[in-house]
Amino acid sequence: MLQWVKIAFRNVLRNKRRSFVTLFAIAIGFSSISLFNGYTDNTYEGLRQSAIQGEGLGHLTVFKKGWNEFGKLNPAQYLLTQAEVQKIAQLLKEDPSVVLVTPQLHGSGLVGNGVQSTIFIASGVVPDEDRLLRGEFATRRPIVGGTLQTDKPYAVEMAQDLARQLNLSPNGDGTIMASTFDGQMNALGIEIAGIYDTGTAATNDKYIRIPFSYAQELYDTDKADRVIVLLNHWQSTLPQKERIATLLSQNGLEVEIKTWNERSQFFVKVKGMFDMIFAFIFSIVLIIVLMSVANTMSMAVIERTREIGTLRALGLKQRGVSLMFALEGAMMGGLGCLVGVAITVAGCALIVAIGPTYTPPGSSSPIPLIVNLLPQAMARLTLFLMTLSLLAAILPARRAAKGNVVESLGHV
Amino acid sequence: MIEIKQVGNTYRLGETQVHALRGVNLTIQSGEFVSIWGPSGSGKTTLLNLIGAIDEPTRGDVLFDGQNIGHLSDNKRSELRNHTLGFIFQGFNLVPVLTALENVMLPLQIGGMSPHKARKVAEDRLADVKLEAVAHHRPDKLSGGQRQRVSIARALAGNPSVVIADEPTANLDSDTAMTIISLMHELNQKEQTTFVFSTHDDRLLGQVERLIRLEDGQIVEGGSNASVG
Repeated sequence: MLQWVKIAFRNVLRNKRRSFVTLFAIAIGFSSISLFNGYTDNTYEGLRQSAIQGEGLGHLTVFKKGWNEFGKLNPAQYLLTQAEVQKIAQLLKEDPSVVLVTPQLHGSGLVGNGVQSTIFIASGVVPDEDRLLRGEFATRRPIVGGTLQTDKPYAVEMAQDLARQLNLSPNGDGTIMASTFDGQMNALGIEIAGIYDTGTAATNDKYIRIPFSYAQELYDTDKADRVIVLLNHWQSTLPQKERIATLLSQNGLEVEIKTWNERSQFFVKVKGMFDMIFAFIFSIVLIIVLMSVANTMSMAVIERTREIGTLRALGLKQRGVSLMFALEGAMMGGLGCLVGVAITVAGCALIVAIGPTYTPPGSSSPIPLIVNLLPQAMARLTLFLMTLSLLAAILPARRAAKGNVVESLGHV
Repeated sequence: MIEIKQVGNTYRLGETQVHALRGVNLTIQSGEFVSIWGPSGSGKTTLLNLIGAIDEPTRGDVLFDGQNIGHLSDNKRSELRNHTLGFIFQGFNLVPVLTALENVMLPLQIGGMSPHKARKVAEDRLADVKLEAVAHHRPDKLSGGQRQRVSIARALAGNPSVVIADEPTANLDSDTAMTIISLMHELNQKEQTTFVFSTHDDRLLGQVERLIRLEDGQIVEGGSNASVG
């Protein structure tokens, strides 16, 4: 076998210019896929973290059954009672993969500075637990001023564009007004503890975060509309969803559970778009590799028809001829991928050295362009492109192998 | 023993049907040194291709030690060629990416011999044709005579019972041609390997033990086992 590998390698080098063009096409295709894959991987990672920690969605959200379908029309009926929240927390905290269970109450209303007012969307969160939920993500978008404090229930965090519109800054005062679940108007005074960047232009002029207890006071309830569950790893989201749903149901809790990606439409849409672009690029590369290798091998087969005849005369079987060319094709694919790995690594290094930034659509600030190096994905891609090259070589090789030996020997 | 019975071979060349062989009968015994002689287009190459199991007759039978080649599958014919036959080509047909030694090793490795053993056998064969010194040279670094000697070493590598040589001296100068034929004859004498070769060079005929003359696809002389010279 080693002899045939050696022959294949020498044959790849036989027509250097043609092999170089084919290897280069494979290498460029490989690095295009790898770099784009590395970019999307980093983007998905960032979006995932942004959804789970930045938006505070956690990995799982437990709602009262029917909340997502009817909760907007009649929220009071679909709130979780204190007893239910406590029972959920008690059941889930025994699970070692559960890091945090925290209730939240969300709502909307009007926020004003005494002169002008505008709408807000509020997240009522337990301050200490919210800090745990956001974890190290909080350091990426630091708050100007202070954060929510348990002992200061009227202090809120306000999104930066909303604060700018209302001309509010840390330690400034304002008023929030909202309709309670009973339909009464309620108003409370607030103090701006800190100003933060939500990360997206669409929410930066609407969001405020208020302590959970203050949200309950604003909407005049002692209930929560959801319980956020943070797991120790995002990859256990789906199995844990199934397990927790069963556990809660067995304990008499009528709830529905949504995963972070079910709740983050932005992540789903961005991922859908990138997946489509990836499929498009991948298809193009696939065609280029197939065409390049098939063309190169077809030329090689034509040029080496007499050699094929000689090998057949020496006793090489049809299958042997096919395998010989298939080996060459696979080797060409493998060598192309090897060069592709080098280009990918060089590309990543260049990106790190230059440190380019860009502002994605809907984002409030520029973000760095980061491309992850994915060795496992590159190994899989190498295997795939080698197989593809092998298959692309087999077709012309089979044709050559089935040819008449006498005609092959007489080929000029 | 090779037996050719009532063999005819026809092929199409454009619109024309060419009768390359017409009812040829021939028997070649083991250890013979046979030359098939005749003008261009007389059917020499076609006859050698049939004996070499790389072509099938349109009519008649080619038997190799009693085995009808026409009844064998492609794989079986390949095995027969690898184990029993050796080929020497007019254009040498060495694989250009392989050294002389690797070219000689090739049929052995096709037959599944281990690289170590194949190397040993190939080195011995190259020594037989006095080419040890250029064993690691590629064909493009060898002269025409050296290439043909590598080709002979390759043909003999697997100890075949028959060596087929189609115009082995056509691309060589007279002196080299004589040397090659002498070498083939020497190996025939030494190892009792049957040699069947075609030529249209009458200067070489003094070297052969049996001459078969072909004209228009028919044997006109030497069909029986009579020796010449």
